[in-house]
Amino acid sequence: MIVSWQLLNRFVDLPVSPEEAAARLTMSGAEVESIERPGESISGVVAARVQSLGRHPSRENLFVAEVDTGKGKAVCVTAATNLKAGDRVFYGAPGAVLPAGAGPDRAGPSGKMELGVRDFGEVRSEGMMLSAEELGLPGVDIEEGILVLPGDAPIGADARALCGIGDVLLDVSVTPNRGDLLSILGMARELKGLYPDAVLKPMPWEKSAPGTGDWPVPFGAISLPDDGCLNYHLGLATNVRIGPSPVEIRVALSRLGMRPISNVVDATNYVMLLLGQPLHAFDLNTLPEREITVRRAFEGETIVTLDGKERVLTSKDMLITSGREAPGGRPTEPIALAGIMGGKQTGINDDTDIVVLEGASFSPRRVGHTSRRLSIASEAAFRYSRGVDPALSALGVDYALSLMAEWSGAEIGCRKLSAYNVQPEPQPVVLTKKKLQTYLLWSDMEESTRILEGYAVRRVKEKEAGKTGKGGEDARVFLPPTWRPDIAIEEDLIEEIGRYRGYDAAPVRMPGVLPRRGDIGPETSLAGSLRACAIARGYVEAITYSFLPESFVSALRLPGSDPRAHPLSLENPISQEWTAMRTTLVPGLLNGLRESVASGWRGPVRLFEIGRVFLRGPAGPSEPAGQSGPEGHGEPDVMAGLVCGGTDPRSPWPETRDDFLSVKADVEAFLRARGVGAVFARGAEPFGHRGQTADILSERKKHEKNEKNEKSGKIGYLARLSPAIERELGFTEPVYVFELYLTALESPDRPVYAAAPPFPAAFRDISMLVPNAVTQAEVLAEIQALVSERFASDSAVGGFSDSAAGGFLESVKLFDLYSGKGIPAGYRSMAFSLSYRASGRTLNDEEVDRIHNAVRDTLTQRGYNMR
Amino acid sequence: MSDLKTQVEEVRGSFNSAIESVPTTDALQELRVRYLGKKGVLTSLLKSLGGLPPEERPLAGETLNSLRDELEKKFESRKLALLGAENEAAEATDWVDVTLPSRGRPWGAFHPVAQTMHEIVSIMQGLGYSVVLGPEIEEDYYNFECLNMPSWHPARDMQDTFYFPDFPDADAGSGAADTAPGAPGAEKSSKRRLLRTHTSPVEIRAMRRYGAPLRIVCPGKVYRRDNDPTHSPMFNQLEGLLVDEGVSFSVLKGSLIELMNGFFGRELKSRFRASYFPFTEPSMELDIECVECGGKNPNCRICKGTGWLEVCGMGMTHPFVIRAGGIDPEKYNGFAFGMGLDRMAMLKYGINDLRYLFNGNVSYFLSGRDA
Repeated sequence: MIVSWQLLNRFVDLPVSPEEAAARLTMSGAEVESIERPGESISGVVAARVQSLGRHPSRENLFVAEVDTGKGKAVCVTAATNLKAGDRVFYGAPGAVLPAGAGPDRAGPSGKMELGVRDFGEVRSEGMMLSAEELGLPGVDIEEGILVLPGDAPIGADARALCGIGDVLLDVSVTPNRGDLLSILGMARELKGLYPDAVLKPMPWEKSAPGTGDWPVPFGAISLPDDGCLNYHLGLATNVRIGPSPVEIRVALSRLGMRPISNVVDATNYVMLLLGQPLHAFDLNTLPEREITVRRAFEGETIVTLDGKERVLTSKDMLITSGREAPGGRPTEPIALAGIMGGKQTGINDDTDIVVLEGASFSPRRVGHTSRRLSIASEAAFRYSRGVDPALSALGVDYALSLMAEWSGAEIGCRKLSAYNVQPEPQPVVLTKKKLQTYLLWSDMEESTRILEGYAVRRVKEKEAGKTGKGGEDARVFLPPTWRPDIAIEEDLIEEIGRYRGYDAAPVRMPGVLPRRGDIGPETSLAGSLRACAIARGYVEAITYSFLPESFVSALRLPGSDPRAHPLSLENPISQEWTAMRTTLVPGLLNGLRESVASGWRGPVRLFEIGRVFLRGPAGPSEPAGQSGPEGHGEPDVMAGLVCGGTDPRSPWPETRDDFLSVKADVEAFLRARGVGAVFARGAEPFGHRGQTADILSERKKHEKNEKNEKSGKIGYLARLSPAIERELGFTEPVYVFELYLTALESPDRPVYAAAPPFPAAFRDISMLVPNAVTQAEVLAEIQALVSERFASDSAVGGFSDSAAGGFLESVKLFDLYSGKGIPAGYRSMAFSLSYRASGRTLNDEEVDRIHNAVRDTLTQRGYNMR
Repeated sequence: MSDLKTQVEEVRGSFNSAIESVPTTDALQELRVRYLGKKGVLTSLLKSLGGLPPEERPLAGETLNSLRDELEKKFESRKLALLGAENEAAEATDWVDVTLPSRGRPWGAFHPVAQTMHEIVSIMQGLGYSVVLGPEIEEDYYNFECLNMPSWHPARDMQDTFYFPDFPDADAGSGAADTAPGAPGAEKSSKRRLLRTHTSPVEIRAMRRYGAPLRIVCPGKVYRRDNDPTHSPMFNQLEGLLVDEGVSFSVLKGSLIELMNGFFGRELKSRFRASYFPFTEPSMELDIECVECGGKNPNCRICKGTGWLEVCGMGMTHPFVIRAGGIDPEKYNGFAFGMGLDRMAMLKYGINDLRYLFNGNVSYFLSGRDA
């Protein structure tokens, strides 16, 4: 809200400068965002009187005026047609400076405009007479041309001293709890509270006596069946002549951000800015009935508001209507959306001569509800939804009527018509020394009382408050004023005291020791160790938007049977690119790759992101227990990665290029960082390369002896993107992506340590031809299985007493892989190194050969071609 | 005898001049053979001792033996010197251009916002705060109503919200426990699904789950329907909550000053301004001294010349909220604070433009170091 320092000083005598007051307001809760002195950009402009006015001798459409500037006479040329001799105007002599951007196409290099002498044919114009726009006051002119001043404007006076042009404006950010501060009056009261030496002045309405006469036109009752209207007053102004309001008022409205309209409308707006009380003026002759009913709207009822829009209403909305409700009768006619905006039909127009002025008090809750639902941000709705002092509505009507009388010659002698519902009364609030001490570590009850009374929060006797004391002087009872509904509980009183004293005054203390340590939590600590590992392996961490365009489903070829194909869609997305919640992190990373390439990055791209995906359906087992939210969806944590060789793969070290198996090593490392072994199996993803996609299964070590390692289900995948998708996205290099569902990794496995084996191992190799359809893992598994099956119980071959479940075969490892020359088509040559070891002795060559040969023979029997 | 002496001098002289000019260890070895080998000069002199009169032999033998020791010594020291030089020369030939680009992968890069989150969380852990997370898709009830922001509340104007159409099975399950304390019967709208607009709903979930005393921080993504150069529709917050008996605002000050000083790595001036949030009473905001100019630059791009940066909203938890968390506000009170992690990251790492944070551009994140 913009606060005029000049208007403020009509309400309160302040002992400080605008800057000091702004600093104090900022620290105590009403942040002043800027202090402007718009008049400072004007200099050399004075009030002057038009002595004579005549046509230019040779140029059509121009006039020559002689003006009395107070220091002498000056001649200036103007094209304006609104002047007559005797008018007082603002005159800028040569050398005068006007605000930047004020005049069309005449601004100098500094942005400001300096006036000079200019020849119009044979007439030399010394400076010029000014329009309001040229003075930086848009909307203040009532007609095209020069701004005409009141007849008593002192000739020769500097413009900055006139009509509020030299005002200081404070832009204050008012918090939603302080509706009372949305007025000059409220600001004056606030500053009075902050500065005990400040003196409040008599209020302007104290001069205006309310009328007492009867209405010259018959007007029926006001009824308030909707209790969202607390009180309702109607005042009457007759013989109104619609016209402009005084220059000074128009300047004030313009400076405070409102457009001057007419003397009647300006009066209502001016009173709203000063007092914070919204008012609404109806043209009496446009009201369908001369009765008012404030009622709830019917479902689906409509009203066309002043802005010309048709509003469809619900029973939660409140209407001002014309007419009286009768059982079975037709509904009363809506004339305004209560507290928000008037109806188009009943507003003030140029011919209005009888004004019915409404001042009312509405429930913040009801106005807030309707204005939010309909997205109407009117000045009235803004104030009502933040709370308007219910005591102001009648005063506001009286004050505005007196202004209309002054500005439009209206007659205002009639009494107000009023109706009331149950009024909310301020409730007493107890302040205890104990709580004050707890909160602020300070508890001077005397000083606190002085502070509160400065804010007009009155100390009352317990009896008066109807409360039983909590303990003598250690508890005092206070009654907030009607304009402070935000003060309702003890903490509110503590806030008043705290902000007056300033929170910097409070001492600094550290939290005490708890009986337990701070726990970083499984998700955060998991993310911490994974990201450390990924960054060490050359990955760049990304955070991408949780929203995706719905089209990601088809871009990734996700079939209807895939849960990821049914994202949660937003009801009110902000952009077509962000309509659905992501079900996979891959599109975000692909976008990161695209952005990187687009911004000129040519090297390898390795990205990872740890974040949530959003899946429909009941929260599955992948949902971490600690964050269970609303039912109907799950938010599992996922780590995703993307690797692409880049558009410029050239490197002095070609062997370091990423490929499927190097990314596999990364994924294994991430899992290993959590003590989890990974098993990669041939798999399928809808967006994966048919031949280069792996399911990732986790394998956890069991700590108990003789327990087999436990293989879990699928915890993720690693895939090269399908070449068709790579082409669609414009990537010329293979793109590898992986996703790991993190719940499976939350509790890390402890590694199991063992002493170095005391007896040496013996090594034997096997080289064999394997059909392409058979994977390395399958061959490996076959060798291991056959050793454990065949030699566990076969004493004919083994026959060693310490042989337990094929215990001699320590490991099998692929050490060579070859296909091409010398190998039949459709086959790969795989060479494995087998290591044999006994736990209690050194195996001799003969035993090892016997076992090894049996392994070879068995494999041959199973159809493998040994080499 | 004098003959022998002359011979010894000759041998010594010629050996000395020869060994000085020997260029390599191989040549040195040849020299050794020539003087000390089986058929070497010195060996033949020793052999000639037999031809001397017996009384001269001991002295002559001594003389020759000491010559042999002397030559051996010189030989060894010359050998060491030559070896050193040869090794040096060999290493100089076997050189690596240490300025070549390294092989293997370079270090990656952290995301400044994630880094900020992890740093702050670990600072707060040191003050006894535990991390608690909550859902990003929330119910109106937790996001607003439990936090003293009913549907008509003007504070909602500041948090333009993303909503979801009703879930097919949204109304199944939980019921009675979700009636807002103090509210006369929860309205149907309260189960409406939305993207949380702040991390504050985690306060309610944590209080209900863990009770008091409680000391937590809740980092996470939040969403508001804004998109302009200074607002992203998705951003990151960190919420803090402490509930205990007799909690003072001073402890909130202590926690936050420690957080800021820890995060920025130095003692920062700070000030606490009165403010307003529906879920705290009293409410404040924390300003820290401008980390860019320290308040010395009237044209500072970061603080706009004010010298202060607004970094954190906070307050003493409203009794309504404590009660909504299932905790007795007559017995317990507390405080809460909330800050933008993106803003903290931008301040610490000098990032000017919010838009780069969430587009995953590698070159941007690597720009924090020499590429």
